[in-house]
Amino acid sequence: MTTDKVNYGTIIKNGIFGENPVFRLALSLCPAVAVTSGVKNGFLMGVAVLFVMTMVNGTVSLLRNFINPKVRIPSYMFIIATWVTVTDLVMAAYARDVYKQMGLYIMLIVAFAIVLSRAEMFASKNKLIPSMVDGAAMGMGFLLALVLLGIFREALGKGSLWGYKFVETKPLLIMIMPTGGFFAMGLMMGWLNWIDRKFFGGTGGGGGGH
Amino acid sequence: MKDMIKITLSLVAIFIAAAIIMGVTYKLTSPIRFYAEKKEKEEALKEMAPDAKDPIAVAGTWTVHSKSYEYYAATTDKKPVGYIASTAGKGYSSFILMLVSIDTGLKVKEIKILHHGETPGLGDQVEEKSFLGQFTGKTLNQIVLVKTETKENIQAISGATISSRAVTNGVKDAVQTLVDKYGSGIAQAAANEVKK
Repeated sequence: MTTDKVNYGTIIKNGIFGENPVFRLALSLCPAVAVTSGVKNGFLMGVAVLFVMTMVNGTVSLLRNFINPKVRIPSYMFIIATWVTVTDLVMAAYARDVYKQMGLYIMLIVAFAIVLSRAEMFASKNKLIPSMVDGAAMGMGFLLALVLLGIFREALGKGSLWGYKFVETKPLLIMIMPTGGFFAMGLMMGWLNWIDRKFFGGTGGGGGGH
Repeated sequence: MKDMIKITLSLVAIFIAAAIIMGVTYKLTSPIRFYAEKKEKEEALKEMAPDAKDPIAVAGTWTVHSKSYEYYAATTDKKPVGYIASTAGKGYSSFILMLVSIDTGLKVKEIKILHHGETPGLGDQVEEKSFLGQFTGKTLNQIVLVKTETKENIQAISGATISSRAVTNGVKDAVQTLVDKYGSGIAQAAANEVKK
């Protein structure tokens, strides 16, 4: 893939639809289940991942010729950990209000399979700018997936969106519990695959991950 | 053998670089963070006792979960208007740090959660007004966590029982401490007031 002409449109489309981290690659499902009990949580987590993925992909791409292939995974882990820690520290000092909202999510990103996966699959073989675009597109796909799941679960489980209640009846509490997360994930994945098969003639997707 | 050294060196180089980057960032940001956190704490204390005119001073320390926490007396013209204690409860994945204020009638006035690391979406619901508001006006004996609907006690958040219990226990410990320290004094003052 190291051609000079890079089709950014394809990369972006790939990140958001074709290889959507949650619904297609089925990676990073545990954080996706854990934080999507509300739209707001999902959105903030998505933004944090978007930023970290862009930076990590860029760094890995820059260092791709220096990293010994035999120890690339621990090297990527360290790059991820460094970016996450630096983001956390800088936010804690300079953006207190944002940090109070997002601080909980930042540190979790260290263990995200999707970040490591894109570093390995894309950034280690591509130049700086395409790698960063890929990271941003994948982050965008992750963010969209989390927001979709968040809307679904919060509307059913709490009767609210972004913390604002719109129905006063007793909600389906199970949807905001981890169990409901799996239900929502399965339903969404199946539904999107159905749309893909029915209207776009795709084969559907959904691999196995953690 | 040569390969082994090469691999080790390349890893070590990355580790050292990462350590330096993180260290420098910490060094640069920690004073600003420390200052901001201190200021936030002062503001939080002021919010806890808005009717105190004098600056809120540390009155002593107490221990819970083998860590020491401070308590404060809020006064206006040297007369106490309320007491505040910082406290902690052991939650699901973190210690929940809180400020608890009581009025001179030994009833809980307000709870403020300063820091916690509970699960987003579940445990972090303890920060919501609908939960913390339950404590207002409760006496020490009423601070009991129950799982059913209640007006007398504290109702746990479904799906976040452990975090709810952590907050409840933290508040109970703090109120207990404040009552032990100031309860008799307040009773004495009330008795004197009646005599006059």
